[in-house]
Amino acid sequence: MTQYIGRSVRSKEAPRFVTGRGRYVDDLSLPRMLHACILRSPYAHARITAVSGDRATQLRGVKAVLTPDDVKRLSRPFKPGRYAAGLRVPIPEYAGAIGKVRYVGEPVAIVAADSRAVAEDALELIDVEYDALPAVVTTADAAAPAAPVLYDELGTNVAWQGHVSYGDVEAAFARADRIVRENLKVHRYSSTPLEPFACLAEHTPERLTIWCNAQSPDVIYDAVSEALGIDSVRVIVPDIGGGFGQKIHLIRKYAVLAALMAVKTGRPVKWIEDRSEHMMAGGHSCEQEFDVEAAVRANGEVLGLKIRDTDDVGGSVSTLTIHFTNKLNNLFNTYKVQHLRLDGRSVLTNKCPVVPNRGIGKPGMCFVWERMMDRIAQELALDPIEVRRRNLVPADRFPYTTPNGNIHGSGDYQTLLDKVLVNVDYAGVRRRQAEEHARRAGSYIGIGVVIGIEPGGRNAARDMAIFPQSAQMPGAGGVEGATVKIEKNGSVLFTLGSPSCGQSHETTASQIIADVLGVAPERVSAVGAFDTALSPWGISSSNSGNNFHLYDVGAVHGAATRLRDKVLTLAAHVLKADKETLRIDDGVVGTITFAELGTIAYGNQAMLPPGFEPGLQATYYHSHPHADPLMLPDAQGRVRAQYTFSSAAHAAVVDVDPETGRVRVLRYVIVSDNGTLINPAVVDGQIYGSAAHGISVALGEGFVYGADGQLLTMTLLDYGKSTTLETPHIEIEHYPVPDPFTTLGQKAAGEGAAIPSPAAIASAVEDALAPLGVKVRHLPLSPERVWNLIREA
Amino acid sequence: MKHSIQVKVNGEVCEGEVEARTLLVHFLRDQLGLTGTHVGCVVGECGACSVLVDGALVKSCLMLAVQAHERDLVTIEGLARDGALQPIQEAFVSRFGLQCGFCTPGFVMASHALLLRNPNPTDEQIRQDLSSNLCMCTGYVQIVEAVKDAASRLRSRQGHEDGSATKGTKAAKQ
Repeated sequence: MTQYIGRSVRSKEAPRFVTGRGRYVDDLSLPRMLHACILRSPYAHARITAVSGDRATQLRGVKAVLTPDDVKRLSRPFKPGRYAAGLRVPIPEYAGAIGKVRYVGEPVAIVAADSRAVAEDALELIDVEYDALPAVVTTADAAAPAAPVLYDELGTNVAWQGHVSYGDVEAAFARADRIVRENLKVHRYSSTPLEPFACLAEHTPERLTIWCNAQSPDVIYDAVSEALGIDSVRVIVPDIGGGFGQKIHLIRKYAVLAALMAVKTGRPVKWIEDRSEHMMAGGHSCEQEFDVEAAVRANGEVLGLKIRDTDDVGGSVSTLTIHFTNKLNNLFNTYKVQHLRLDGRSVLTNKCPVVPNRGIGKPGMCFVWERMMDRIAQELALDPIEVRRRNLVPADRFPYTTPNGNIHGSGDYQTLLDKVLVNVDYAGVRRRQAEEHARRAGSYIGIGVVIGIEPGGRNAARDMAIFPQSAQMPGAGGVEGATVKIEKNGSVLFTLGSPSCGQSHETTASQIIADVLGVAPERVSAVGAFDTALSPWGISSSNSGNNFHLYDVGAVHGAATRLRDKVLTLAAHVLKADKETLRIDDGVVGTITFAELGTIAYGNQAMLPPGFEPGLQATYYHSHPHADPLMLPDAQGRVRAQYTFSSAAHAAVVDVDPETGRVRVLRYVIVSDNGTLINPAVVDGQIYGSAAHGISVALGEGFVYGADGQLLTMTLLDYGKSTTLETPHIEIEHYPVPDPFTTLGQKAAGEGAAIPSPAAIASAVEDALAPLGVKVRHLPLSPERVWNLIREA
Repeated sequence: MKHSIQVKVNGEVCEGEVEARTLLVHFLRDQLGLTGTHVGCVVGECGACSVLVDGALVKSCLMLAVQAHERDLVTIEGLARDGALQPIQEAFVSRFGLQCGFCTPGFVMASHALLLRNPNPTDEQIRQDLSSNLCMCTGYVQIVEAVKDAASRLRSRQGHEDGSATKGTKAAKQ
């Protein structure tokens, strides 16, 4: 049955990409199209006292300027989204700044002109008067009693405080042999998709159509519809140049601004973000600080964990708690610990708002667990691998329910750890380390071994665990659709409910259809761009590899299965054969081809079975059949935060130069369980890419702000993105343990390796510098930071 | 004020009127419709706009269109012939050397420039050379594999061509 599933079948998307024939938003143009540019705040915190577009509109070629007054008059504020659980006071947020700016780069005005160059010229002619206010840049300053407040409505910058608690934490601490304490920090970074935000809006008498590189078309659909008060909205998503979560949320502001401009001018309006705009205002991950206490027994068993988490959420309340609530997804990592309390504070600062990206909060949670495992080992004089082993959920306990309600369907964490130690030659690295120390070689080699999970699937009702009073229930569980069709000539077409931004949706879906229908993948192709008017969409995939695997795979499989039944019914009737005994082989059912069946199904009523609906097409909407129990939180706040749980052990070997603080990654080895692999090369790609990102984050990629709230890292070079030179060759071994609850046994395969990799590098650097007494508590480990750690040790 | 330029692009002579400030990448995309050359940063850091100018690898966001006057350009659209993928393109496809595809034309052009100079690069040389370009999706592993595969495809094709040329000469002599 599985001829194609499990094989690295040739990529469907790659031929158009290697020939330059991918089609991204900026490649599109429409007749009479205008080009828009956005004027952004140069201040981190200021009142806007006056804005005038008069001089700009006099420039030849300029067609319109929208000021904050226009935006307020012409649109409605966003409804508090599903990312703002915990917001106590409703705060209206418009697509552009109204009255006040709260971060450098916040959009203030938009101009449209005949060309991009003229629109850029016009920005200099828009007059804005600001009344500058003091900026707060650190959470400590922002939370101080006399701090300047970003939102008067809240009266404080501590916009949310709350906690979750599972088990009996105090009792666990009371019976501990020892309490191990640590302060840990993860810095601000992003996923920097290479294609920045892009929108092209057109308003016709029938509807508002927007071509947009949004990962979650539903966010754009709702935002444009609500902000403009237009029911008839169509969102089309062509090829997307990378997403990683960056293109889920803040992009809605720009879709609304472009749409407003299209309505105002009566002409199509294209807006393409530039790189510096994306760095300033496209959304960052959240800087997180953790005060952690672990209650442990002398043998290394962790009895309980207490964490106080402070999240720097930047200058908007619209994503107030996403980095906190996402920690529910991997709250216990791979460990059997039963007692845990996580306290959270979301603090507003005059920095870029935070957005989902590659892991959202989960890399921080994994960092907490894995740093603590090393620290516990050090304080108890135990081996760090043994401490992990002692706490892992054993392989015979699956399906395993975590104390907060997640069900890990399958897994074998011990074996992942065993295998990674063999593959990295752990004993050999330790021998080499000892020899070099003995020689006093001045070479600092270290090894870090960590373990983590990649949760997949979505359940927005998770957020009710911290905000049960939420007026409207966020979408619980998930729904996604797919359509599969056999054409009149026997070729097979399909439409997915979610767009792809590089995860090879077309390739993977084709393999499933090929196997279910019994046809070669070469004859299967995707219809093309995602289109809310034509695609059977839900809101589940948010276009990430870790959701696609659950919802789209289920939907495509379901639609193909339905279509297969239709094909067999028609063929049995035409051939006068028994449906149960018919076989499909390479597009031939018994003796009749798909093309012959297509001709009958669409054009020859006389040959159709009685009661047979003509055509050969099937649509199927999938939701996870095992989403219950705990789809909604119970009284203890237990909820299925996500539905599938891939896992992986990572081992990093590093060499630290004590003179410069430079960390070189000598080897990076992963053993990964992503359940059933549909296309191993595609899954490899997801692992390589997310590991490389996490490694780059640990080695120094990130945002730096001045004390005045000015962003100092506006380019990719200043931001410190790793290139081919800093990125190690990454080695992968697959150890799949199929999930008993999913369609094909598949589990998440997307952002996974970005979750444990920062912790792996931190562990390895600390191990390397152990002879100097260095403790690694904070990321990033840029050369400057490592150099200072060595000096301070 | 506009300037008239004449540029040979993928073997074809193209004419255009550009402002002095127009970047080469914008001329290629907006006037010639060669949208395979992408803009990722517009300051020369990402390499998504890489093209060949007189055989040399150039980031077309760092060159003005007027500077391309009377020069010979190759863009990503100029590699495949008669619908068949060029070996570097074929290697990127079969080795999964891409994901979202946005950086891909730049990587293919950079690999093309490398393999013209060095038909048999080591992993280290590939990584050194391709550090001109950024990819946010792949972690580079499959890109490096694709370039090695491309090199071997090109060498074996070269070998075949040399071989058949030699045979042809022998045949002619006989």
